[in-house]
Amino acid sequence: MPNTVQLENVSKSYDHFVAVDALSLEIRAGSVYGLLGPNGAGKTSTIRMMIGITVPDSGAIRLFGEAFTRSHLARVGYLPEERGLYKRMKLLDQLVFLAELKGVPAADATRKAASWCQRLELDAWMGKKIEELSKGMQQKVQFIATLLHDPELLILDEPFAGLDPANVVALKDVLLEQKQAGKTILFSTHRMDQVERLCDSICLIDHGKAVLQGDLKQIKGKFGRHDVQLEYEGEDNFLGDAELVQSFNNYGNYVEVRLKPGADPQDLLRLAVSRARVNKFELMEPSLEAIFLEVVGKRDA
Amino acid sequence: MRNIWLILRREYLERVRTKSFIVSTLLLPAVMIALMVLPSKLAMLKASGTRRLAVVCANADFARAVQSQLEAKKRDGDQLDSSPRYQVEIVSTPNEAARATLKGRISTGTLDAYLWLSDDALASRKISYVARETSDFIETETLHRALRSALLRREFLVRGISSDEADKLMRGVDLNAVTIKGGQEKRAGGPLQFISAIVLVMMLYMTLILYGVAVMRSVLEEKTSRVMEVVLSSATAQELMAGKILGVGAVGLTQIAAWVILGLGATTPGLLAARSQLAEINLSPAALPAFAVFFVLGFLLYSALYAALGAMVNSEQEAQQWQFLVIMPIIIPIMMMTYVLRQPNAPLSMWMSLVPFFAPILMYIRVVVQTPPMWQIGVCIALLLLTLWGVVALCSRIYRVGILMYGKKPTLPEIVKWVRYA
Repeated sequence: MPNTVQLENVSKSYDHFVAVDALSLEIRAGSVYGLLGPNGAGKTSTIRMMIGITVPDSGAIRLFGEAFTRSHLARVGYLPEERGLYKRMKLLDQLVFLAELKGVPAADATRKAASWCQRLELDAWMGKKIEELSKGMQQKVQFIATLLHDPELLILDEPFAGLDPANVVALKDVLLEQKQAGKTILFSTHRMDQVERLCDSICLIDHGKAVLQGDLKQIKGKFGRHDVQLEYEGEDNFLGDAELVQSFNNYGNYVEVRLKPGADPQDLLRLAVSRARVNKFELMEPSLEAIFLEVVGKRDA
Repeated sequence: MRNIWLILRREYLERVRTKSFIVSTLLLPAVMIALMVLPSKLAMLKASGTRRLAVVCANADFARAVQSQLEAKKRDGDQLDSSPRYQVEIVSTPNEAARATLKGRISTGTLDAYLWLSDDALASRKISYVARETSDFIETETLHRALRSALLRREFLVRGISSDEADKLMRGVDLNAVTIKGGQEKRAGGPLQFISAIVLVMMLYMTLILYGVAVMRSVLEEKTSRVMEVVLSSATAQELMAGKILGVGAVGLTQIAAWVILGLGATTPGLLAARSQLAEINLSPAALPAFAVFFVLGFLLYSALYAALGAMVNSEQEAQQWQFLVIMPIIIPIMMMTYVLRQPNAPLSMWMSLVPFFAPILMYIRVVVQTPPMWQIGVCIALLLLTLWGVVALCSRIYRVGILMYGKKPTLPEIVKWVRYA
């Protein structure tokens, strides 16, 4: 099965500002992909090129295994970072209009919109204007608009930004279902902690360049386990061991330790047991944020 | 094409369903009719009163002549004349005592005015008209005519011309204006033609601005509500702009059609009653099709500019600062309107009406008043289409970049860059 999205050396500059710099990435069909990076890294610029809002200066974009054409857009659902709906339009009319633009026949769109509204408890509001709805309801309408034409590829730019907790749960449930149905999902966000549990693969970008990409498990494995969480009672002078410990953060009887590169965590455990009573010893997976900072830090140094 | 149609349909339906559309469609003709009918009704009200006027003159014959001129003035059945009826009394002693008495009567209100026709005044033809208020220009005009005619009549009598002969000599003149076009004679229109041309041009002008601004608002609304990005993930910026302009334009045509139908319905009885005067209007038969052509072309031209303007700015206030750029080329032809109406074939009128930005209004005036040579209309429409193509290409580029620029106000060099983007 071809990759759902494939970017080859895609670049885009605005004026003198390079937004995306020779970026290549591939998103496997049926996977959940995270396009991660700080604000201004080039995430939204990349997405806008994927769906033809802008055209790359150079490089090639392939969707569903074919060179990009606008006919692909009917198979893509896009939730932009800047949310927005026609304020004075009625909820149902709005959903039908957006679905028709994606090529869904009006009758079909009406039926599907009604069933989605029922599922997300909006059925009482279908005849109301968008401006009469609460913010949370408007967000739900926006998800439905993204999903209504049953797209094979979902592109969600900062999907959890500004959502109330109930809607975060609702959205995650829906997305999980979509994943199980074999849909490909692309997350773009600067809040890495929010999506790292959801993603199969990621691409970390900074200043328009990919700094790290691949399978999330492999990346985490590669970055090893240098961090230890430890709960103890008694002496803490084992923390001063210069051969094992690079740095630590001591909260009294709870401490987070960063090990020296190449040091064996088991040595630290033995040392700690010999000096104090250890209640808990846990090897921590590095967070994506920590990995990102490490990679960017190394590159800038 | 499907996308343009969907966007057009949404724009059209959302607008036509609003209360403001329905209200303005129904209300505007009502206001227009009120504006046309009320002033003449009010003028009629005044005409019903009777003015008491004293003619102070030592010459009894002349005084009677003036009296009969004023009192008999309704005889020609002129319904539109709204000057008042007169009740004339003659005072045969033009001296200071009489003047003082008359002044006293005017201030107590038993008399409205007097005319001082002493021999000196008549000889020098400098006559005083004294009244509580003299601002009614129709009244002064009536008095003026009555005095001139009485004076003329007296001169005729002095020169031995009989009263009957004097009547013949003083008969008015009917000027029957005829235009010749392609060997065909045609009766030319009077002032009513002028007025109806102005009404049509103002309608064109108003709808151009009204619906141009509607396009701008609609672009701004999509930009500020950020719905633009969702739509752009399905349709291109060009499709969005085209659909929007055509949709708003269709609303404009709908409204004009409704006004025409309502207007005809409301005024038909009046029009039938005033048939004799209507024959005078004699508008060029091309007036209505030309309205459609110039409205469509003019609207497309200006709404493309308005769409670009809406895409450039971030708020209505900001848009207002720039709006003069778009309004200027509509104001200039409006300022030239009277000149072109009076001299539709003067070189200045011809050249100005060929300028594409002025053509929708100025060429339209020329078509309505006196159809210009076909080649001029052809050149005008060709130039207009060419400009339209250029303006739409330029504006759609500004639009495409502008709609995704939030927050900051673009500078002119930036806008030039937008146009250059591939």
